[in-house]
Amino acid sequence: MTAVAAAAGRTRGAVRGALADARRGWSPYATAGGALAVLAGLAPFLLGGAIADDTLATGAYEALAATGLALCVGLAGVPSLAQGAFVGTGAFAAAHLLRHTQAPAEVAALVGALAATALGVVIGFAVRSLDAVRVAVATWLLSWLVALALGALPWLSGGAQGLVVPTRRLLGFAPTPLVHYELGVVLTGLCALALVALRRGPFGLDLAAATQRRPAAAALGVPMERLRVIAFAASAFVGGLAGGLLVQLNIVADPTAYGPLLSFELLVAVLVGGAAVAFGPSAGVIVLGLIALAARGLGALAPLSGSRFEPMLEALLLLAVLTTGGSALVPATLDVLRRFGLSPKKPRRRVAHAAPPRRAAAALRARGLTKRFGAVTAADHVSFELAPGTVTALVGPNGSGKTTVLRLLAGAQAPDCGSVKLGARDLTLQPPSERVGAGVVRTLQARGTFDELTVLENVLVGVDRTRRRAGALRTVTSTPLYRAENDVARGRAVAALEAVGLEQKAEAQASSLSTSEQRLLELAAALATNPAVLLLDEPSAGAGDADLQRLARVISTLRDRGLAILLVEHNLRLVNETADTVVLLANGRVTATGSPEEIAASVAAREAYFGRDEPGGA
Amino acid sequence: MSLAVQVLFTGLSAGAVYGLVAIGHSLIYRLTGIVYFALGDLIGLGAFITLFVAAGTAPLTSETVSGGRMGLAIVVGVTACVAAGGAGYFAVVQPYIGLRSAIGWVAATLALGFAIRAVLDAAFSRSAYVFPDPIPFHRLGNDGLVKILGAQIHVRAFAVLGVAVVVAAAASWILQRTWFGRSLRAIADDPEAAALAGVAVERTRALAFGLAGGMAAIAVVVAAPGAPFETGSGELLGLKGLVAAVIVRFGGLWSAFAAGLGIGVLEAALGTGLLGHFQASADYRELVPIALAILLLAARPLRSREAVE
Repeated sequence: MTAVAAAAGRTRGAVRGALADARRGWSPYATAGGALAVLAGLAPFLLGGAIADDTLATGAYEALAATGLALCVGLAGVPSLAQGAFVGTGAFAAAHLLRHTQAPAEVAALVGALAATALGVVIGFAVRSLDAVRVAVATWLLSWLVALALGALPWLSGGAQGLVVPTRRLLGFAPTPLVHYELGVVLTGLCALALVALRRGPFGLDLAAATQRRPAAAALGVPMERLRVIAFAASAFVGGLAGGLLVQLNIVADPTAYGPLLSFELLVAVLVGGAAVAFGPSAGVIVLGLIALAARGLGALAPLSGSRFEPMLEALLLLAVLTTGGSALVPATLDVLRRFGLSPKKPRRRVAHAAPPRRAAAALRARGLTKRFGAVTAADHVSFELAPGTVTALVGPNGSGKTTVLRLLAGAQAPDCGSVKLGARDLTLQPPSERVGAGVVRTLQARGTFDELTVLENVLVGVDRTRRRAGALRTVTSTPLYRAENDVARGRAVAALEAVGLEQKAEAQASSLSTSEQRLLELAAALATNPAVLLLDEPSAGAGDADLQRLARVISTLRDRGLAILLVEHNLRLVNETADTVVLLANGRVTATGSPEEIAASVAAREAYFGRDEPGGA
Repeated sequence: MSLAVQVLFTGLSAGAVYGLVAIGHSLIYRLTGIVYFALGDLIGLGAFITLFVAAGTAPLTSETVSGGRMGLAIVVGVTACVAAGGAGYFAVVQPYIGLRSAIGWVAATLALGFAIRAVLDAAFSRSAYVFPDPIPFHRLGNDGLVKILGAQIHVRAFAVLGVAVVVAAAASWILQRTWFGRSLRAIADDPEAAALAGVAVERTRALAFGLAGGMAAIAVVVAAPGAPFETGSGELLGLKGLVAAVIVRFGGLWSAFAAGLGIGVLEAALGTGLLGHFQASADYRELVPIALAILLLAARPLRSREAVE
């Protein structure tokens, strides 16, 4: 009895917390969004039959499919051209189930969604690490593959007549177009909410980082490939659900309806309406609906079916949107509202800094690391140890293999032989994302900030690696654990910013920082992954005198906190000020190891570094 | 044996057209780093302009078109294709090259393709058209057929194959031997360096887009009279060419051409049930190469992780 009471109490608390969070996060946009959703639900009654119910219902399901596509296009920044194929898969899977079993309508739609999800996972996995060009080609080919398969395989598609789908009651109602429409509006609204939740959560942040600067995101351990598969799967699920319901609305599964043209139209809807905003895709579908009306008008002028003009008008509209700077309908409207001062002031919550749980100190040991590129041996049996609470500098002339060694340690490259161990754990074959999880993180020599994110968000990308309850499903459902972790995550991000002295600029845009501040920001983001070992690739690049002092202080502080730090550096001043041990590399070999003073005193070291004085040389 | 020969020649003549389209896709990809999704529709446009000049929008038989008018039609069609290709570059490709997001050019080139298709659909409302024959093949051999190793082969197959090889060889010569070709290769290598060296990058690229369209249009015009041609046929040719280009990873000119031939033969073989003894194989004729291309895209050896940096 007490257990039940306690559970009830917890539930009450959780609900209260959720309501409080919702109230805090509420904005005029949310009110407007809710009003629009209600208006959309009432549309059939307000329009008074001016547009047939089944046209409206088709539009609602198209909006659902387009909102699903926005998960891929808007969140993951991937040009997916396969949404039509996912809708078609859902449609025919549902149609076959309804024809051959007594499955209820909802189950059929769900099975359609799952069938599409399976296809989405397969294609998502196939393109998980491809560049945008190949993603576009692969998804375009998939769209054609499904369309041609439906055309060529009568056992699958029912031939030219299609499959007649038996109708069943939908959620307890007779399956009229009106019921379908209302269901489509509700599902689209839910999908739009999910889109917003994902975009604001770790999932969207990580994807934004990976889209903006993939190498930097990879260095911070963002599992870009997995996120992409999830985005495709989610996108396909929603598309398949739309297909499974659409086919029941249409009563016939038409094999010609789910071709590349549908994929294109859904992409147009997303791009015209706005890929990254909740109601963008729906707005795009409404615009396409208006275009269909215009096409019918054109068709009446020429004695032709209006549908022949539809793709042309859609294409022209898309080209117009793209050429006018690509600002889509909904974002453009929001911009106008903002200009008139109607933008909601986001109340910033002050967050207390929260230290991450201390990671057990561990040494990183490199043993016999070797890497060859053709005839060049960039690393030749390199061995050393990074002990907790020490700074080890890796120095050597250009081309001596410093960066290669750092990459081997960070997992950006696999060694030909040798091993990398953190404490007792062998990391030799682990990819960078695993190593970040284990506590080994690097910074890049090239610039690695995410310019379109704020300073705090940059660091949050690093914090995301330490989160345990921030999966896509938890994010969408906004579980109490997820929300509690959100606060902790912000606190950790602030703590990381404090460590490098950037906490005052938390809300600034990353692109507004100076070059040396951006270096510090990268360091903070790496620090936010809560590492035991920090690998810094030329952090002093482009730093002035004062910047160098600041950097040296930060590095010393981190060492004193017990981190093992590797410093790949050209700047001998920074090395002398911070390093406990210097490892000298020449032609991929370790030629000397010792304290900075010892190395400076060693003739061999000087020769290796500055070159031998040739007797009689000019 | 006779079936195999039949399949081989049917496949080669279809594949020759795919091959030329594949050369176009490959060339464009290497020049600009994008895939020109509108290429197939542009080719369809060239074919239908040819038809329009030769015979208007009504379907005609070959007897009613004079050789001179047909010649003019081909010239106009191919020229229009070249012009549209170049104009398309400036309209839907050039503004988006070098942007971080690929969505711009993907959407814009698709939009151009669908717009062309829609114009064709509006102007040519029948489901399929018979093309006038530029060369009276039916007077050759036995009513246009010759017997080779027991197989009846259309004379047209040889003509298509021959024209395609000549066009490909001409393209190869242009790429290897002319100033224009050297400029193209310089741009493919490094656009900025090419610009510094005095190459008019934009104009050269636009010309290449035109060339890609024109090349394939020639082959289509020769091949089209062999079978009914639909407004969507160009699109399908573009797709097959893309599949061939993907299979050779947008490689060199002759490997793209060879991949096109290979797909043609594979389709013909599947279409006649030559491969595999299951009867349904004909249905999979068009599906197999596409699935293969997707697999190859996915199975591409992953770039070493370093290359990402």
